[in-house]
Parts: sequence; structure tokens; C-alpha cells
Amino acid sequence: MLNRHHRPTTLIAITLLLTTLAAGSTSCGGDDGDQTLTVYSGRSEKLVGPIFAEFEAVTGVTLDVRYGSSNDLALAISTEGEKTPADVFLSRSPGPAGYLDDLAMLAPIDTKTLDRVAPTDRSPDGTWVGFAGRARVLVYNIDEVAEVDLPGSVFDLTGPNYQNLVAVPGSNSSFQDWFTVFRLRNGDDVATRWLDDMVANGARFYPKNRAIIEAVGRNEIRFGLVNHYYNHQEVAANGDAQRSANHAFSQGDDGGLMIIATAAILDQSDEKELANRLLTHLLSDSQQRYLTDTVYEYPLAIGVDAAETLPPAPADTVGAMQIADVAAEFTRTIEIIEASGILDQ
Amino acid sequence: MNEEVARHRAGVGRPPRSLVSANLLIAVLFAIPGGYVVWRAATTGGGQFATIASRPTLEPLWRTIQLGLLVSTAAAFIGTGLAWLTTRTDLPLRRFWRIAVPLPLVYPSFVGASALQSGLTPGGIVHDLASVTGISMDLRLHGLFGAWLVLTLFTYPYVYLPVAARLSTLPTSLEENARLLGDSPVQVFRRIVLPQARTAIAAGSLLVFLYTVSDFGAVHLMRFETLTQTIFRTRLFDQDRSFTLALVLLVLALVVVAAERTIARRGTRTQVVGDRPALLVPLRRWSAPSLAICTLVVGLALFSPAASLADWGTSGWTRQLRGGASLRLGADDVLGPMWNTVWISVVAAILAIAAVLPVAYLLTRHRTRVGGVINAVVVAGFAIPGLVVALSLIFWTLHASPFEFLIGTLPVLVFAYVVHFGAQAVRTAQVAVSTVPRRMEDAARLLGAGRIRRLRTVELPLMAPSLAAGGGLVMLSTMKELPATLLVSPIGFRTLAVEIWNTYEAAYLPEMALLALVLVAISALMTWMLIVRRVNYLA
Repeated sequence: MLNRHHRPTTLIAITLLLTTLAAGSTSCGGDDGDQTLTVYSGRSEKLVGPIFAEFEAVTGVTLDVRYGSSNDLALAISTEGEKTPADVFLSRSPGPAGYLDDLAMLAPIDTKTLDRVAPTDRSPDGTWVGFAGRARVLVYNIDEVAEVDLPGSVFDLTGPNYQNLVAVPGSNSSFQDWFTVFRLRNGDDVATRWLDDMVANGARFYPKNRAIIEAVGRNEIRFGLVNHYYNHQEVAANGDAQRSANHAFSQGDDGGLMIIATAAILDQSDEKELANRLLTHLLSDSQQRYLTDTVYEYPLAIGVDAAETLPPAPADTVGAMQIADVAAEFTRTIEIIEASGILDQ
Repeated sequence: MNEEVARHRAGVGRPPRSLVSANLLIAVLFAIPGGYVVWRAATTGGGQFATIASRPTLEPLWRTIQLGLLVSTAAAFIGTGLAWLTTRTDLPLRRFWRIAVPLPLVYPSFVGASALQSGLTPGGIVHDLASVTGISMDLRLHGLFGAWLVLTLFTYPYVYLPVAARLSTLPTSLEENARLLGDSPVQVFRRIVLPQARTAIAAGSLLVFLYTVSDFGAVHLMRFETLTQTIFRTRLFDQDRSFTLALVLLVLALVVVAAERTIARRGTRTQVVGDRPALLVPLRRWSAPSLAICTLVVGLALFSPAASLADWGTSGWTRQLRGGASLRLGADDVLGPMWNTVWISVVAAILAIAAVLPVAYLLTRHRTRVGGVINAVVVAGFAIPGLVVALSLIFWTLHASPFEFLIGTLPVLVFAYVVHFGAQAVRTAQVAVSTVPRRMEDAARLLGAGRIRRLRTVELPLMAPSLAAGGGLVMLSTMKELPATLLVSPIGFRTLAVEIWNTYEAAYLPEMALLALVLVAISALMTWMLIVRRVNYLA
């Protein structure tokens, strides 16, 4: 009877043994002599990887980069708390950095680094700094629409000239970012009426920016509200065969908005100086040129011009707007979008 | 002694202390994610009950239950039907179907759903091919219908695999007798096959339900607001609400797990195994309709997303040929991640089986109250979204255990997989244990075989098909796991799912599509080598 049920304990022992072995085999990395910086990056490796590689090549510092969605990485950092290995956090938009700032987990960035960008592109208390921008624009089919006929304002799109012609990515997070700011600027009534009018005017729903670019390119639909860089990617990929182009609304129009990607330094980091060097590198002329020339984002460093092919940069950035209760505002945005019926168009 | 043997035979004997302690240890480890959710929900600023009782909670909760029931019912029908067709009939091309039918499980939710969706809408390859042949499809997949269709197509393998494993070990004598006595194949199916497979069907449907309620990718794309969708939406800026809803999800899972256990306990307690190849029912005039059904299901669930992926992939090649941007995908981006995917999913599957076998022994051979609790803890872990599992492990490793040094190492990642997906192997492990007749074990012991030898020579061969089916589920789930892999893997450790996500994030569509096809191909190969051949062990 005694030896009948040995198996469970044996299995546990084997499991523990394997686990220990695995631990031994993975913990032998990491040379003591090298300087290492850990980065949690909410921007994709395909975009920022070359910037990191350049930093490693120039400084000899090793960068350990964990890629993920900005929100998840911010959650991971707050869960790790003071034991987080992260020195630097890159985020798609100011929200996740602001969340860590509210938890007092971010360190002030060197003034010299902060001063590389305009005051609207960094946090008021200097805990995060913008390093690249994505603009909300109107994409259009170049065979069907003459440049002179392009609208100056997003409010024009509810008129008869645009009936059944505009694609709206209602469930897309960048669209929702934009709509939140649009709503806060103009008030709920105006924003809700604009969206209802869009629906009444036959605006069509597409789930993704890229799907809109493709649809506009093959003239399935004539216009679309999108982030600017998708069209540049498609043009780079397809050349003249891509029959779409970006149009920026008039300066100051509520249709335009710059959503900025941000960089921050964790307060518990032992390598703050090195972390500041990485941020300075991100905002250096050469890396800002790479960001705009190769991956078509707007550079934010003062004195670096956007690539000529990009439409004029919108004057407003999400960073400049202080939102008191982000969760409540986004919930409200989603309620209005869903109530409008745009998602069923 | 005689009395003890009798009680032991009846399965009511008190479990040995070593088995109970092993089970308690396992339960404690599996309770980490759930415990974290409970703790976070309990320590919010208050107002949890107001949150739970509010419309913004109850509406998604109702939608979640609706979707879960609809998807698991449909998956139960499809999975059971296909399992019977591929294991018990003379369906043509059986070997092919056995490999192809479980594969839709391997599409990461966001990839599969978006490939299926864009394939079926205008401009998509399936839609366009169909309109060439004169079929006009205008399916705009969204809402409850879209979420139901997509999730059913990608989750029926949870039913198919355990049921196929069960059917392939079913004794043929009962069926033969029924046939000899004049029952039609349909009657045989209803009267003999279905009762024997009932527990496997219930177990698979449970997994489908738990998967459905914790899925984010598909419901997000279909814009169907379930609890998990709300949990994700509020995860950063309204964490009190997010964790309170996660607790609601956990309670829902526990209720469903308890309900399924009640069904399972009422089911046949003595499962029997056949000792020779299963009887194949001749389909005759039903052959063509059966083939059509298999083709429709596998076509929609496996090949139409694959067609979209192939379409996107080739657009990358033709772009390159036209002088546009070349494919940004090197051998290094594929081979390393591929190898990592293969070995870590196999390791996770083996460890998951090892972890749930003691649970299966306790549940199958002994009737104890603690068994029900342990079962609930282990199985409900599957309903906790992967992101929460990852966060709970980060918290536990760093702040509540002596294992801080393990953070960012592979053991934590494997542990996350085992805790998250171990539930998928529990029921099949129970089936495995119950297929070992007590008398065989007793005979072997009387002949002087030691515990290890009995395990190796008597029990494992008998249990292999069911264990392989459960392990296969864990393996396929691990291969596509994303949130935990991104957050707790060692920095720089890449799986195919991670690479797919990387290219998806950068909107590198052709590259993403090619990587996804590699993932499907690899999992097809592994399914064949590790599962199909095992499941057919006796067939």
C-alpha cells in the first residue's frame, strides 16, 4: 500500500528539477563589465530597433529591450514597483507615461534634453518628453479628387459634397484619441452632432487605418480619416501604383491632431545619466532624421524639419491637453461613438 | 484487508497523504493568478458592489454569458461530429482530416479573426474567389454573430481532440453488438457512442466556454463588448473597475466549472478501453455530405484565414518583383523564434500533464471534498486573461515569494503557460486515469512490478492517447500565447507569436502573414507527430 502513490511526488520532483535546470541555463548571461540599460518599449521594434542599435554601436552600452503594448508595459512597471528593471519607458502616446507619473514612478528628465522639444511636446513637470509625432489627416484618391477641392475643415465632411464618400475608423484607438480631444475642445453637443451628421451623410465604417488606405487606393471609397504614416508606407511599398495621398486640414482646424510618442526615465533607475543619454540620442538630429525620413513620423526636436513628403504638421498635440480623468473621458468617447451608429455603417 | 480492497476498487478509499499533499501544492501554485485578482479586487477603494451591480457591468456580463453558451454549444456539435466522422467512420481522407481538423486552434486570436474577417469582406480573397464562381457573399462580420462564428471556428478543436481521443479508445464490442441487433449507424451513435463520449464532450465544451469568456482579440475585432473587453479597456486608467470585473469573470468561471463537474460525476464512472482496432461505420450514401461538412468547417476555419494570409504574403513578393520595398524578413527572424516556439510549447505541455496527473488521480480514484476545490482552482485559471496571469506572476515573484531571482527567466514563463493552460489537460488526464483498469494495475503489482515500472509498462501506454490530446491542447495554446510571453519572458526571447505581433504592430502585413503561415505549418507538423499518431495509438 505504501508505494502505490509515489507518482505524484515523483512528478513534482521532476518538475522542480527541470525548473532548476532551466534556471541555471538562463541565468548565466550578462557580463559584469558592460553597462546595461533596460528599456520597456511600447513602440514597435521595427520602428525603433535601428535607433537602439545605433546607440549601442556609438556608446558600447548594451540595451535590453522589452517590447509590448504601451498600456501593458506601464501596468507591468507599476506591478513591479520599486523592483522594476526598467530604466527607460517608451510609450505610443502620453497616457501610459502620465499614468506612471501619477504613481510618482518617473524621474525628472535633464533640462537640456527637455529643451530639445517645444513645451507643448513634454509634460509640464518634465517627467516625459515627446520624440515623434503621428498626425490625423484626410487620405484621398488622387485620381478622383483635385487638390483645390480638398476640404479645409473636418466640419466640411458633413456636407453634400462628401455624401457616401468618407471612411471613418470608429473603433480605432487613434481615432478615439482624436475624438476625445475634439469633444473636449468643442463640447459634447457639437462633437456628437458632427458624428451623427457624418452617419447621416453616409460615412462608412472601416475597422482599420490600413484597410482605409487600401480602399481609397483602389477607389472603393474616396476619402478617409486616418493616421498619416500608413499612406507613406503604402506609397513606399507600391510606388506610383498607390493612388492615394494625405491631406492636412487647415492649420488650427479641429480635424488635425498630433499624437506624440513619449520617452520617460524611471525614478528607481540606477542609470539615470545613461538613460538621459539615450533620450538625448532619441532626440538627436540624426535619429530624428531617421524617424522622419525612414519611418515617416514627425520629428519633434526643434530645428529638425519633417520629411518633405509629409503633410504640414497639425498645430495641436494631445500632449498639450491636460485631461483630468482619462478613463472617464475615453468611456464617454466610446459611448458616443457607439450611440452614433457609425460602427454599423 | 479485504474490506480495504473493496473500498479501493469502488474508488471511495481515503487518498494517501502523499497524493493529497501533492494536490495541495499544485492547487496553491495554480491559485496564484486567481488569488491576485481576489486580492486586487478586495483592496480597491471600495464600491466594488456598486461596480458589480451597475449597468456597465451587468450588460457585458450578460453578453459574455450569451456568447459563451452559444459558442460552446456550437463547438460541442461541430467537435463531436467531426471526431466521430474522423475516428469511427470510413470517411475518405481520414488521415488528412485528423491533422487538419484540430489546427484552427493555432491561429492567434487577433491574426485568425482579422484574416477571416478581411477574407470574407469585399476585396478579400475568399469573397473575391467566391464571387468569381458566382456565389455572392456579403458578410460583414461583427457583433454577436461575428464573434460567435469566429470563436466557434477557432475553438471547436477543444471538443474535437478529447472526444476523438475517447472515441478511438472505445471498445468495439458494444457497437458491433448493436449493429448486429439491427441498429442503424445513427442509432449506434446516439445509444452507444454519445453516452461514452459524454464526459469528454462536456469537458471540451467547458474549455471552449472558458476560452470564449477570456478572449480579447476576436471580440475586440468584432466590437462585441464582453467582460474581458471591458477589463482590457479599463486596465490602465480604471484599475479598480478592471480588477472587480476580473473577479466577476472568475466567479462566473467557477460556477461553470462546478456545473460541469456535476455533469461529469453523473457520467459513466467506469470507462472502458478497447483492445483492438475500432469498428469503422460505413458511411455509404452519407459519404458525400460528410465530406462536405468537413470541407466546409475546415475550409472556413483553417483554409480561408490561410488564404488571406497567403494573399497578403504574396502581395509582399509581387511588390518586391515590381521594384517596390523588399520583404523585411530574414531567416533569423524565422528560425530562432521557430525553434523557441517548438521547444517551449513541448516543455510546457509535458509539465502541464505532469502537474495535472496527480489532480486527475485524486479526482478519478477518490471521492473527496478537497478534490472539487482543487479541480475548480486548476480549471478556472484558464478563464483569467493572459495579461492578468502575467501581472500576477510578476507581482508574486517580486513581492511575495523567495523567487525574486527568477524574474525574467524561462522558468517563470513556462510556469505562466502551465498555470494558464494546465486546465486544458485536466479532463483528458482524468479520462486517461480512468482508462487504466484497476485489475490490470493490481495484477502487475501482484507480479512484483514496482511503481515506476507499472507506470511505464502498464499505465502510460494505456493513458497515452488521452494524455497526448490534453498535452496537444496545451502545446497549441502555448505556441500562440502572447500577453504573458511579452511581459514575463527573458528579454530577447522570441517566439513566432512575438514576431507575428511585432510585424502586426509595425503594420508589416506581408511579413506578418508569412510568419503566421510558418506557425500554422509548424503546428500542423507537431500535431501530426505528437498528437495524431498518439491518439491513434490503439486505432
